This record gives sequence, structure tokens and C-alpha cells, in this order.
Amino acid sequence: MAKKVVALVKLALPAGKAAATPPVGPALGQHGVNIMAFCKEYNAKTADQAGMVIPVEISVYEDRSFTFTLKTPPASVLIKKEAGIEKGAGEPNVQTVGSITREQLQKIAEIKMPDLNANDIEAAMKIVAGTAKNMGVTISD
Amino acid sequence: MSNHWWEITILCEPMQEDLVFWRLEEFGCRGTASEYQGDSRLIRGYLPQETSKSLDLAALALWLRQDALSLELPAPLAQWRVLDEEDWASSWKEHWQPQEIGDRFLICPAWLTPPDSDRTIIRLDPGAAFGTGTHATTQLCLESLEMRVTPERKDLIVADVGCGSGILSIGALLLGMGQAYAVDTDPLSVKATAANRDLNHIDPERLIVKKGSVERIPKMVGGQVDGVLCNILAEVIVEMIPDLTEIVKPKGWGILSGILLDQAKPIADILEEYGWIVATLWKHDEWCCFNVRRP
Repeated sequence: MAKKVVALVKLALPAGKAAATPPVGPALGQHGVNIMAFCKEYNAKTADQAGMVIPVEISVYEDRSFTFTLKTPPASVLIKKEAGIEKGAGEPNVQTVGSITREQLQKIAEIKMPDLNANDIEAAMKIVAGTAKNMGVTISD
Repeated sequence: MSNHWWEITILCEPMQEDLVFWRLEEFGCRGTASEYQGDSRLIRGYLPQETSKSLDLAALALWLRQDALSLELPAPLAQWRVLDEEDWASSWKEHWQPQEIGDRFLICPAWLTPPDSDRTIIRLDPGAAFGTGTHATTQLCLESLEMRVTPERKDLIVADVGCGSGILSIGALLLGMGQAYAVDTDPLSVKATAANRDLNHIDPERLIVKKGSVERIPKMVGGQVDGVLCNILAEVIVEMIPDLTEIVKPKGWGILSGILLDQAKPIADILEEYGWIVATLWKHDEWCCFNVRRP
């Protein structure tokens, strides 16, 4: 019989650097998960992507065992990478800190597509463009 | 390390999740946790308490509101509170019970009375260090040690690189090895290994632990070791193979884990390139453990 999932937790963490501190500790500790075991597995599976943020969705079962699936990096991380910037704008819609092309926007949308609530690539691009706008990153043709 | 944290909780539309992550990251949060709450996302970010004041958090809430409005989404609900680090550490310990490993070991949490057993008992408080005994790689290493350290050899010296809680060094000594030299780059691990050494009534001269990595071992030992234990990560082990080769005597051995099955082949190739003989490869779930020796 399949084990019952008692919690579904998503964490966005720096690749290869999970530790028992927040957000991992409080998120998994409340469910009695072996936190260090999770960290070890997450770090092993993401160490080759050091420098990126790799979200992970963790299914916690009734016996406190767990499985997890790695997700695509947050759009903001991909936008910063494509725009070649380290930080976004402090004041959205006022300050511009960089730009990406429509091709780059589409590339990010394609990466994010599996994790976005979007029916097609155009809808995904619209969501990513909204994030870019608030970060102070413009879209150029 | 901070003992108190701001926990910032934001209830928002799923479409705003990436933008909330970005705001929290810019604000200094080290990662986020999120879960579904109905059709909305409940996102939590954390900051050491001393780095921010309530006014800063109120400003953050305003930015999040402005972000939502610019995307024509409903304003998110932001709240914050101070969280004690003990809140989650104690909940994890409640669920950890004594566990038999291999044919000879029994791992017993420090806060429990060891049960009556013919097995070799390792008492352990991992603190924030790796090595609770419940992970497949730790079990593989301990099982490999059982095979490797039989019969007792008090003249043998082992190095433990990336010692974590010290569980492998302690296991090697309790099985009958003479001395263990343990290193870890994480000061919390060094502290945990020393504490667990005392917990298991091991003479500090038999288990010497220092902050550092493999390059520190030759100076600590004053020569080479008979065996090396290394349960870290494949990427780190690959980098260390030349140094691991240097510190182990001819005819010496190594127990290497923290390696996923699909990472085994390239590691085996590099080990053989450096003259190691891969004696056995043990598997547990998706993990594996190399038992290697030098000619």
C-alpha cells in the first residue's frame, strides 16, 4: 500500500548549501523529518549547480520518511543571470537596473514552464515579464 | 550563529511567488519555504533577528503590496514573529530512536538510556553536524568498517575526512582500531565529534579532531595512515583523491561514500588512475560506498 503524504513542502535553497538552519529546520522539523539526511541528499543532487537557487518539493509521509523533486530556479534568479546583474531595483517601475531581450525572456519562460501555472509559452512569458518589470529589468526587442 | 530568527509569513497568489522570493532574497533571507493554503501560497522567509527591526519588516510588507498591485493581483498578507531555534531542533529529536546498523552496531541518541544489547553501542548527539547513523551512506560506511576492522588491530591508524558527528571515527575505535585523526571544515562538526568522543568514553589521545580538511592529516599524524574514511559528497571526494592517495600507506585502504550510484563510474575511473584498487562497491537505495585499497 502506498504511504500517506502528510505534508508537501517547497523550499528554495542555494544549491549544495542546505543546512539545519531556517528555512530547512522549521519547515521539516515540525514534521519530524531527519533534517540532516535531507540536507545531505539535497546537497549531493545540487552541488553541480553551485551559485544557483534550486527549489525542491518535499513529500513527507506518515512514517516521517520523505522523497523530493528538484524544481526550476525562481524566475528572478534566471532574470538576474540573463541580465548579468547581481541585484534588482529597490523601487519597481521607477529604477531600471538592466534589460533582457525577448529571446532571453522566452528562454526563461521555457525553463520555468513546467513549474508555472500557464497554459502556453505566451502566458509563461507574461508571468516572467511581470517579475522582470518589478525587478527593474526591461524587455527589449 | 543566531539563536533567534524573524519568521516572515506571506500569503499571496501563486503568480506572485517568484516575486516574493526575490523580495525576500534582496532583503537578506537565506532561502524560503512555501506550501499551498487553499488556492494561495503561504511563503516563509527567515532572517537572524539582530539583522532587522520591525520597521524594516513593515517596509518589506509595503514593497510586497506594491509588487502585487503592479501585477494587478490582490495584496498579499504579510506577518512576522520571532522564532526560537529550539522550536524545530527538539521536534526532530523526539522522533529519533536507537537503531541497529550492520551486524555489530547500535546507534543510541545521547538523550536516551542505551538498551540492553550485545551490540557495540555508539552514543551520539549529532547537534548540527552530519552523521546521525540513519542515512544510507553512514550505514554503508559502518558496515564496511565491520568488514574491514576484524580482528582488532590496536596498531592501526585511521583518518576521518569530513568527520561530521564523529560517528565513523568512533565506530572504528570501538571496533578495535588504535587511533583516529578526524578533520572537518565545519567548526560545529569539530565540536560535535569531540563531544561524542567524550560521550563514548574514548581517550582524547585516541581520537584527535581538528578543523580542516585532508591536507591537515599528515601534520596531525606525522606520517601516513592505514585507512581513510570519507563520507562527504562525490564532487568533494573527486577533488580530494590525489590528497587521499598521499596520506594512505601502501597496502592501506579507504572507505568512501556520500556518492550517488550514477556518480560511481567516474569516481572509480579516477581512483584507478591514482592507483587504487576498487575492491567492492556497496549499494543502499540510490547511494553507494567504495571499499578501495592501495597496492
